[in-house]
Amino acid sequence: MNAKQRKIIYRIMPYAILTLIGICFVLPLLWVMVASVDTNAMQTLKLPRAVTADNYIEVITSRENQRAFLIGLIMSLGQAVLVVILALLAAYPLSRYQMKYKKSFMLTILFMTSLPITAVMVPVYQLFLSLKLYDQIFGVILFYVASSMPYGIWMLKNFMDSVPLDLEEAAWVDGASVFTGIRKVVAPLMVPGICTVAIFTFSGSWGNFFVPYILLQNPENFPASLKLYQFFGQYGMIEYGNLAAFSIMYAIPSIVLYILSQRFMSKGFGLQGGTKG
Amino acid sequence: MSFMKKRSWAIASVLLCTALGGALLAGCSGSDDKSGSSGKTTITVTYRDDGAGEKGSLYRWLTEIAADYPNKEVEIKPAPIQASEGDYFAKIALALKSKDTAPDIVTEDTFILNSDASAGYLEPLDERLKEWEDWTNGSFIEAMKKGVTASDGKVYGVPYNTDSRGLWYNKQIFKQVGLPEEWTPKNWEEVLDAARTVKEKAPDIVPIWMNMGKATGEATSMQTYEMLLYGAGERLYDDASGKWIIQSQGILDALGFVETVNKEKLGPPLSKVLNGQAGNTASREYLPQGKLAISLDGSWITGNFLDSGASPWPEYKDVLGFAPMPTSQGQAPGSITLAGGWALSIPSNAKHKDEAWEFIKYALNKENSQRLVTASGNITVRADVAKDPGYTKMPFNEIATEYLQNAEFRPAQDKYPEVSTQIQTMVESVATGTSPADAAHKYAQDVTRIVGENGVIQK
Amino acid sequence: MSSMAAEGYSRKRNSYSWLYFMLPSIAIMLVFFIYPVFLTFFYSFTNLALTGESARELKFVGFDNYLHMFKDPTVKISIWNTLIFLFGSAVIGQQVLGFFIALLMKHKNKTFRRVIGTIVLAGWVTPEIVCALCLYSFFGDEGTLNSIITSLGIPAVTWLYTVPMLTIILANIWHGTAFSMLVFQAALDDVPSEVEEAAVVDGASRWQVLTRIIIPYIKETFTTNMMLVTLQTLGVFGLIYAMTGGGPGTSTTTLPIFMYNQAFVNYQLGYGTAISLLLLLIGIVLSLFYTRSLK
Repeated sequence: MNAKQRKIIYRIMPYAILTLIGICFVLPLLWVMVASVDTNAMQTLKLPRAVTADNYIEVITSRENQRAFLIGLIMSLGQAVLVVILALLAAYPLSRYQMKYKKSFMLTILFMTSLPITAVMVPVYQLFLSLKLYDQIFGVILFYVASSMPYGIWMLKNFMDSVPLDLEEAAWVDGASVFTGIRKVVAPLMVPGICTVAIFTFSGSWGNFFVPYILLQNPENFPASLKLYQFFGQYGMIEYGNLAAFSIMYAIPSIVLYILSQRFMSKGFGLQGGTKG
Repeated sequence: MSFMKKRSWAIASVLLCTALGGALLAGCSGSDDKSGSSGKTTITVTYRDDGAGEKGSLYRWLTEIAADYPNKEVEIKPAPIQASEGDYFAKIALALKSKDTAPDIVTEDTFILNSDASAGYLEPLDERLKEWEDWTNGSFIEAMKKGVTASDGKVYGVPYNTDSRGLWYNKQIFKQVGLPEEWTPKNWEEVLDAARTVKEKAPDIVPIWMNMGKATGEATSMQTYEMLLYGAGERLYDDASGKWIIQSQGILDALGFVETVNKEKLGPPLSKVLNGQAGNTASREYLPQGKLAISLDGSWITGNFLDSGASPWPEYKDVLGFAPMPTSQGQAPGSITLAGGWALSIPSNAKHKDEAWEFIKYALNKENSQRLVTASGNITVRADVAKDPGYTKMPFNEIATEYLQNAEFRPAQDKYPEVSTQIQTMVESVATGTSPADAAHKYAQDVTRIVGENGVIQK
Repeated sequence: MSSMAAEGYSRKRNSYSWLYFMLPSIAIMLVFFIYPVFLTFFYSFTNLALTGESARELKFVGFDNYLHMFKDPTVKISIWNTLIFLFGSAVIGQQVLGFFIALLMKHKNKTFRRVIGTIVLAGWVTPEIVCALCLYSFFGDEGTLNSIITSLGIPAVTWLYTVPMLTIILANIWHGTAFSMLVFQAALDDVPSEVEEAAVVDGASRWQVLTRIIIPYIKETFTTNMMLVTLQTLGVFGLIYAMTGGGPGTSTTTLPIFMYNQAFVNYQLGYGTAISLLLLLIGIVLSLFYTRSLK
C-alpha cells in the first residue's frame, strides 16, 4: 500500500465510520415513524399497506390530548423562563465576586443535581399538601424550577465566566447599574448558554412523568408526558399506531426548540474550567 | 443613586411575574372545589379510571345511580384517579393520609384493604353494618365478608364485586387434538397431560399459560402460585399461630408444577411471559387468535372480549370453556379458587361519613349492584343477584360464581404485599431453571427477613 | 478572574450584595428542594410507610433501614447493576463514543457533519419515554433488529430477555451520547490548530497528536463531562422502568428502580429513602474520584 492509497483510506475511513454510526442511531427511529402512519401497525417493522394520517388526526383532534399538550407546554416553558431568570441572577455573584465558600457551594449544587427525584417525591408531596399546592399546575412548575435550579446555576456560572469584564465595566462608566449591565451586556453575550439551560430544563420537565404523577390528581391537569406514560400502561403495546403518532407529536416541541437554537448550541457546550468553581 | 431602587425593582418584578404566572395557571388548572356552592353536601367517590374516562363502566354506573338517588340534598361527585392498578394503591394511600385529599368514599381492592385499615386510613363499619338489613339477612354471600375483614376482625368495606380463577381452555383446539370439549380435570396430572397432548399434536400452539414473572406482579402470586399452593392443600399464612409458612411440601409441590411446565416446554416462551405485558399478551392476543390452548387466569378476562373491550371477540362464548382448577391429587374439596374483588370504604379522613354511608347502602342494594356487575362483566358478591336471570344469562357468570364456594382469600396481613413480591421472585426463578428446593430456600430466607424470626413457621 | 477586575467589582457592591442576587433562587431551592432532601435524610431513619401498620405512626428506627440494606441480597445486585450500567452507558458509551464522534467530525464536510450530528441529536432531544418505546420496539422479539438479522440469515434473538442489560445500556447510549458529542465538539474547536499543525510538521503521528496534544488540552472537559454524565446516568429511571421494568428477574434492577419498588410497590418509604441516599453517596464518591484524578 503506497502513501497515496493510505492517504485516501485515512480520508474515507472517518466518513465510513460516521455513516455506520449514523445508521445505528437512525434505525430505532424508523419503527416509530413508519408505525405512526400505519393504522394496522404491529411491533414488526413493515411497510404500511397505505400511508395515512389517521393516527395523527385521532391524536390531534382529541380534546384531552390538546389540553395535555397545552399544559405540558405551560409547565415546561414556565419552568424554563423562571430557571433562566433566577439562575442568571444567582450566577452573577458566583462568577463575578470573590466569595469564601464558592467552591463548596458549587460542588454542593452539583451533587444536588444527582439526587434521584423519585427519592424526594414523598416529602415533596407532603409539603405540597401543607402549602395547598397539591393538584396545582403552578406548584408543579415551582418544584421543577427548584429541582433544575442547581443545574441552571452551575451551567450559567460557567458561561458567565467566559464573558469578558471590560464590556461590563464600560457600561458602568456610562452610568449603568449592575442590573442594567447584566441585562444589556452580559445576558446578550450569554445567549448560547441561556439557550442551553433553557432547552435542558425544558426537555427535562417535558419528558418527566413521575413528578406530575405524584403531585397532580385531577386527570384534567395532566401534562402530555403523563398521558403518554398512561398510554403505555393502559393499552400496553396494543394500539401501536396511535402510540407512535402520539410519541412523535410529543417529541416535536423538544426538536423544534433545539432547531431554533442550534446555531448557539455548539459554542455553548464548552466545559473547560468547569470544576474550577 | 437609583442603583438600589433598580435592584429591588428587578427582584420585585421577578417575584411579581412568578406570582402572576401562578395566578394565571391556577385559573386554567380548573377548580378543585369540593364543597359545592348550592348548600348541598357533596360526596366525592374515588375509584380507578383505567383511561376510559366517561366511558368507563364505574363512571357511568356512578352517574346513573346518582341521578336516581332519592336524597336530593346530596350531590355525588366522581373523583377518579387515572393510574395503572399498581400505581392506584400508592396514590390512594397518599390521598387517604390527609383530610384535604381524602374522598368520602373510596374503592378498595381487598388485596390492600387490610393494609390501609391497619394504617388507620379507613373507618370500621361494624356498627353501621349491624343496622343494615341487607348485610345481616344473608343477601351477601357469607364467604365474601372474609375479604373485607381486616386482621383486627373489623369490617372496613362493603364488597361490590369479586372474581374467581380457573382454567380457560379453547374448545376448538381441544377438539382438534382429541381432547374432550367439556373438560373437567380431576388433578394436576390431568392438566399436564392435556397440555402434553396439545404440545404433541399441535406443536405451534402454546399448551398452557401461567403468569410466572415478577413483572406481572400480583397476577403471578395470585393466579399462579397461590392457586397451586392452596390446591396442594397448603396456605401462605397459618391463622392459628399467626405466622407465615416458609417451608412445606405444599410449597415444593406448587413450584414443582411450575418446573414441570417449563422443563417440558408446555408453557409460553419465557421472553413473552416474563415481561409486564404477559397477562395482556395471553388474554388479548394468544387466546383470541387461537394460539393458546389452556390459560390459568381470572374470570374477568372475558371483559376483553366484549364489544367495548380491548380485544373484541364475539365468538368467545362458544370457543372458550372455563374449567375449575383441580387440587393436586384431586383431594377434597376437589377444586380450588382464590377470590379477590373490590369494596366501597369510607376513609377515616372523610368529611361526610354519615352521608357517605347512606349512599353506599343505596349504591350496593340488589338492583344497583346488579347494574354494576353486569356493566363491568364481574362476578357479584350478592346471593340474590347471583340467582337473578338477568345476571345468570351472561356467559360464564353462573359457573364462575359457583367456583366461589371453595374460594380462598389472600391473608389479611400487612406484610402480604411484600411477601407477594418474594413469591414472584421465587416463581420466576423456578421458571428460569432454579430448582424448587433452592428457590423455596431463598424464599424462606427472604420472608424471614421481612417478617422477622418470630413471624415464620416451618411445616 | 483577575484581581484587578475583582477590585473593580468590589467598588460596586457592599459585602452582602450577593444575597440580593441569590436570594430568590436560594429561597425556592430551600423550600422545594433542600427541605425535602433533608426530610428524605430524616425519613431514612424512620419506619415511614405508605400503608400498613407502620403508616399509623412514624417511629424512629435508628439504623435499621441501613442494616436491612446490608442484609438484602437485592441491594448488592442493584449496586452491581448500577455500576455496570454506569460503566457501559456513561463511561464507555457516552463519553468515549461521544468523543470519538466529535473527533471524527472535526474538519469534515459541513453538510455531512450536520446530517450525522442531527441524527445523533435526535436520540437526545427525544423524551425519555419515547426513547424507551423506540428501543423497546427495536429490540422486541418481532422488532426491527430481529427483522434485520433474520433477513441476513441469523436466527432471531430475544434481546430484552437474553441480554436485557445490554439493551438498556445501548438505549441510554442512544439517548445520551449527543450531549457528550456537543461538549467535545466545543472543546475540540478550542484546541488551537497552530499547535496541532506544528506537531504534524515536527513529524508527530496522528495518534501522537491525539494523545500528546489534543487529549491533554481538553483534559478538564473530560473530567467535567464525565462527572455530569455519571450523575445523570446514576439517576436514570424512566428509560429502564419503561423498557424492562428492572427485569427479567433482577437483571436490570438498578438502584433507582429498586428504590422505586421498595417505596411505591412495597410501600416501604423509609427503606426506599435509605436506598436513595446510598445512590447519592455513590454519586459523591465518584465525583470526588474524578475531581481528584484531575489534579
